[in-house]
Amino acid sequence: MSNNTTEKVRASLQKRYFKEKVFRSIGVVAIVASLSFLVVLLGSIIYKGYPAFKASYIQLDVTLTEETLDVSADAEDSELRRANYLGAIRTALRERFPEVTKRGDKRNLYRLISSGAEYALSDFMMEDRSRFGQTHSLWLLADDEADALLKRNKDLTKPIRTGENAKNKDALITRLNTDQLGWLQSFKEAGETDVRLASTFFTNGDSREAEQAGIRAALIGSAYTLLITFVLSFPIAVAAAIYLEEFAPQNKFTDIVEVNINNLAAVPSIVFGLLGLAVFINYLQLPRSAPVVGGIVLSLMTLPTIIISSRAALKAVPPSIREAARGLGASPVQVVTHHVLPLAMPGILTGTIIGLAQALGETAPLLMIGMVAFIVDIPNSVTDPATVLPVQVFLWADAPERAFTERTSGAILVLLAFLVVMNLTAVLLRKKFERRW
Amino acid sequence: MSSAAEKAFEELKETVGRVTVDNPKMQAKNVDVFYGDKQAIFDVTCDIGKNEVIAMIGPSGCGKSTFLRCMNRMNDTIPSCRVGGDILLEGDSLYSSSVDPVMLRARVGMVFQKPNPFAKSIYDNVAYGPRIHGLANNRAELDDIVESSLQRAGLFDEVKDRLNAPGTSLSGGQQQRLCIARTIAVNPEVILMDEPCSALDPIATARIEELIDELRENYAIAIVTHSMQQAARVSQRTAYFHLGKLVEVGETKTIFTNPTHELTENYITGRFG
Repeated sequence: MSNNTTEKVRASLQKRYFKEKVFRSIGVVAIVASLSFLVVLLGSIIYKGYPAFKASYIQLDVTLTEETLDVSADAEDSELRRANYLGAIRTALRERFPEVTKRGDKRNLYRLISSGAEYALSDFMMEDRSRFGQTHSLWLLADDEADALLKRNKDLTKPIRTGENAKNKDALITRLNTDQLGWLQSFKEAGETDVRLASTFFTNGDSREAEQAGIRAALIGSAYTLLITFVLSFPIAVAAAIYLEEFAPQNKFTDIVEVNINNLAAVPSIVFGLLGLAVFINYLQLPRSAPVVGGIVLSLMTLPTIIISSRAALKAVPPSIREAARGLGASPVQVVTHHVLPLAMPGILTGTIIGLAQALGETAPLLMIGMVAFIVDIPNSVTDPATVLPVQVFLWADAPERAFTERTSGAILVLLAFLVVMNLTAVLLRKKFERRW
Repeated sequence: MSSAAEKAFEELKETVGRVTVDNPKMQAKNVDVFYGDKQAIFDVTCDIGKNEVIAMIGPSGCGKSTFLRCMNRMNDTIPSCRVGGDILLEGDSLYSSSVDPVMLRARVGMVFQKPNPFAKSIYDNVAYGPRIHGLANNRAELDDIVESSLQRAGLFDEVKDRLNAPGTSLSGGQQQRLCIARTIAVNPEVILMDEPCSALDPIATARIEELIDELRENYAIAIVTHSMQQAARVSQRTAYFHLGKLVEVGETKTIFTNPTHELTENYITGRFG
C-alpha cells in the first residue's frame, strides 16, 4: 500500500515541478516585459526631454549709446527701461555681418536672436546705469530654431532637407535658410556660441516663443493646487474613515454611504470638473483658472481613494490592541487616537500619496474649470490664474514648433521628478512613524 | 456525549453546588446573554469572592469567555450582543445607566488570551492606564507605579535595563506578564483572565500561575481556562459551564475529586471536552 503511494507520488512529481517551472517563468516574463516597457518609455522621454534643460547663447558686442538706444544718458529710469534695446541688438548684428545689406536678409539675420533678448538687455542696463555709453560683449539667448541646431551640435554646413533632397537622411531638418546657417556657422567658428544649463526653463512662465517658455508657472500652480487638495482631502477623508470604521453603527444608512464612496472612486474625473464649473465657479463665483477651485475639485476626486485606503489601514490594526486599550479603561476616542490611528498611519499616508499622485497627474477636470489658460505670470496665491504641469504638457504637446516637443518631454520629466519627491517624502514619513511605534 | 448525559443536561434546572459566597466582590444574577437571536448564556448565577481565584472551565463554546466578558462590559462593543439579568460589583449594578463602562473597566481589569502589548515601550505599556486615568501626579509617582507593577508581575528584574524597548520585543511569556503588569498598574479591584496561558509554554505558564496566586492577596480573580490542571492548581473555587449553562460550582478540591453532577464528572474524567 505504502509502496503504491510512493510510486504515485513519484509519477506526479515531475508534472508538479513542470507546472511550477512554467508558473515561475510566466512571472519572470511578466516582470521583464513591464520593466522593459518602463525603460523604453522613460528612455524615450529622457532622450527627447533632456535638451529642454539646455539653452544656446550667441555672443554679440552690443553698444549701449544714445545713438543705438534712442535715449539720452540722463533719461529717467522708466524711460531708459523702455529704450530701443531691440535696435541696439540689431545694430550689433549688422556690425557683426556688414556684408548683409538687403532688407529681407537683414530680417533673416535678426531672427537668429531670441525676441526675449531685448528684455534681458534691458535688465542688464538697469542693473548698473554706468554701463551706458559703452560696448559690452554679451551672451544673448538664441532663437529656438538656431538653438535646436546648436545644442545638438549639428554640422551646419550640411544641406537642408527640402524638396530635392527630401530623402537625404543626413540633411538638416530646420526652418532656417542657408544664409542663416552660414551666419550661425560663422558665430560657431569664432567661438561665439555656447550651450548652457537653461535656467529660464525653471524661472519663466509659459511663452509663445519656445526658447523662452518655462514651467515655473505650472510648477507653482501644481504646488498650490496640491496643497489645497491635501489640506482639504486628508483631514476630511481620515475623519470619515475613522468614523465609518470605528464609530458608525452598522445599518442601512452606513451601507449606503459605503456603496456611494466606492462608486465615487469610479466616477470619470471630467465629471468632477463639470461639477466644479457648475457649483464652484458659476454658483459660488469662485475665481476661474484658480488653484483654489482646482484643489477643491481634485480633493473631491481624491477623497474616496484616501477614505478607502484609510479604512483598509484601520481594519488592519489587530482588534486585540483595541480590546487591550478598552480593557484598561480607555474611552473610544482614546482607543483611536492613542493606539489605532498611530498604527494605521503608515497605511493612511500611503493611500494619501497615491491619491495625491493621481491628483497631480489629473488633466481633464482642470480643463473644465479654466486651468488650461495661457499663463505667463507666476501665480502668487491660490486665487491667481494658474495652470498645472500635466495641463502644460497638454498645451505644449499641441504647439507646432519643434522646440516645444522637447519642452513637452522636459515638463514630463519635471512632473515625474515631482512625483518621486512626493513618494520619497511619504516613504520617509512612514519610516519615521514606524520607528516611533 | 452519552444519551444519559444529554438527558442530565436537559433536566438541569438549577446549578449544582453553592453559587454564593459569604463575602462577594461580584455577583452575577440570572445572567442571560444573546448574540442576535442566539442565546449564549442561560440564567447563570454565580458570585466571585474577595481574595479568591475562581476558575471557569468547560468545553469549547460553553460560554465561559462570554460570561467573563460581561463582567467588565467588554461585550458592549458587539452590536448584536444583549445581556439580561444583572451583575453587581460591590452591590452596585454594572448595567445600570449611571455606570460608565470606562470607569468600570478601571475597577475590573482584564488580561486576554493572546498577549497583546501596545506597540509602545515597556514603560509606556505599563504607564498607559495610570496616564489616561490621571493616577500619577508627576513623573516620579508614575515611575513608582510602573516599577511596582512590573515587580508584582515578576517582570521587573528581566526588563529594568530596557524599559524603553518596545513591548513587542519581549518573549510570549514576558509579554503576558507585561499585560498583567499593565492591568494591575491601574489598581483594579477585580482581574478577569481569559485563558491567559493558552499561548504560553509550560515554564511561562508556571510563572504566571505563581503570579496569580500572589495576586490573590489583593484582588479578586476570575480565570477562564481550558486546562483542568491549571484550574486545580490556581483556583479556590471552580465553575463548570456546559452549552451556556452553569452546571456546577464548588470548592475546587471537591469539584475535581468528587463532582456531583454527571456532566462535570464526564468532563473532569476526560470523557469529552
